[in-house]
Amino acid sequence: MESAEIESTEGKKLESAGRMPAEAFTEDRPVPLLIEPDLAFIRTIQGLGGETFKKCFQCGTCSATCPISPREDPFPRKEMAWAAWGMRGRLLRDPDIWLCHQCNDCSVRCPRTGRPGDVMAAIRRESIIEYSVPRFLARAVNSPGWAPVLLAIPAVLLGLAVGFRESIGNALGFLPSAGNRIAFAYSSMIPQWLIMIFFGFFTLLAIVALTAGLVRFWKGLKNGGQDGQEPVKGLAASLFSVAVSVLKHEHFSSCEAARPRYVSHMGMMFGFLALTLVTIWVMTARINPLITSDFVYPFNFWNPWRILANLGGLALLGGCLWMVLERLEESDGSGRSTYFDWAFLGVLSLVVVTGFISEMMHYLRLVPHRHVVYFIHLVLVFNLVIYLPYSKFARIFYRTVAMVFAESRGRQWGAAATTEDGVDSQVH
Amino acid sequence: MDITKWMKDNQTRLIAVIAVIILAPLVYSSVSYLVAVRNGPDKPFLEKPDAKYQDCVRDTAYMRIHHMDLLKEIREEFVRHGIRGEIRLRTCAECHTSRERFCNRCHETVNLNLDCFGCHYYPEPEAAVQQALQGGEEWIDESS
Repeated sequence: MESAEIESTEGKKLESAGRMPAEAFTEDRPVPLLIEPDLAFIRTIQGLGGETFKKCFQCGTCSATCPISPREDPFPRKEMAWAAWGMRGRLLRDPDIWLCHQCNDCSVRCPRTGRPGDVMAAIRRESIIEYSVPRFLARAVNSPGWAPVLLAIPAVLLGLAVGFRESIGNALGFLPSAGNRIAFAYSSMIPQWLIMIFFGFFTLLAIVALTAGLVRFWKGLKNGGQDGQEPVKGLAASLFSVAVSVLKHEHFSSCEAARPRYVSHMGMMFGFLALTLVTIWVMTARINPLITSDFVYPFNFWNPWRILANLGGLALLGGCLWMVLERLEESDGSGRSTYFDWAFLGVLSLVVVTGFISEMMHYLRLVPHRHVVYFIHLVLVFNLVIYLPYSKFARIFYRTVAMVFAESRGRQWGAAATTEDGVDSQVH
Repeated sequence: MDITKWMKDNQTRLIAVIAVIILAPLVYSSVSYLVAVRNGPDKPFLEKPDAKYQDCVRDTAYMRIHHMDLLKEIREEFVRHGIRGEIRLRTCAECHTSRERFCNRCHETVNLNLDCFGCHYYPEPEAAVQQALQGGEEWIDESS
């Protein structure tokens, strides 16, 4: 659905629908809305763990119990109402669905088993699909039927690149070897320059698509949600305070039902951050001015970069495994797991597992097994990168944008909302 | 003790520690860069063979990654099939006179602990052995 269509599903003024004379409305009376429920949207949410959400009788226990909800206009009660009314456009322009970190304290306490936490998660998934560019790719990434095709694309592309590495290398003026700074057994099959160019290009493509989506999302936020609210805080300052709270995991640490996720998410996030840093270091070794040595890779086992890579890998592995276990036992904290959740968590877990197997096989000098595992590892990493703007991974960026939006509009939420006085923490 | 409670109480400290861990390699590399700048450009990492030797038995790209495969290949040929070819360890030593300054330099960097030369003899010329024993710093300059 294009953004123009969001406007139309939003509900029209009764005035224009001709149900009431125009003079009935004055400036100080709110304009009533004619709701046009988006039934497909309601069914989508019901299919994604919110099958009972229509039972919601708007008691507001969810908003009261939420540890990070703002005092003004709290979520998720209002979102439950909008969802039940099928107000898709309204929800997709609401920053609050992204302020929610799915602690699931609301789902645990809901007297009608409406699972507001899962409903919010389903709306977030819709939001990513709605704003993604191109949207058909987002739909494909999030439907299980397309998984084999989508997994085959990176495998074929990378297979072709590896198959024609010599012709490509000659055309681009790269030696068939890995260059002077890098010499490891893998580079006979999958040279470092090939990974650098190949992944560099597709990462750039993903960044372009992601940026296009985020720009649409930002426009959507400005058009809806908190109407007419002017920014009270600069964007840079907002981004800084959001970054600090994200790094500290302030919101996850406030959760009760999902308390284990505070630890597992932290391991996952910092592990991934560390591995990203090491990857950038290795991938840019040819042009990195800080590297003065003739020789960069493979690292010595006790090289600080190798230590960081192994520590980061372990943190990521631990975080992933913990989350997989939580989801398998359908704990209170994880909520209902959908394909959206499993696809992302699964690929990320497989990336780190194949990474470690690849490392082990390297030590054991298992040829050609190590090349096969390394290839699978690269295909999975590739899968993670190119589908980033459409998978659950995109949530990092959508959530950050929404949090920056809320922060810049002076929304008091999360720790800021609960530390003013002790009232909120006494609610439980 | 509830670990999550402890973590929550020490959020800032925890993040500081994680930041130090994640940024440590970058700091390490920056410091090594500054040290390298102060001490002048790096010496050649590997000792180059004598200028009179032009070509290795295989090209450099192959040798860099597959030298051990080649050694296994010629071992197979000799031990199983009794073929003593042109290439022998002695052939390596003709150009790469010092195992210490050529082979080991790389192996040490990547943490490879070979046990080949506990039994096998690498026929280094006497002069090269002496040089290596004295921690000889006579580098063959790449530019010369």
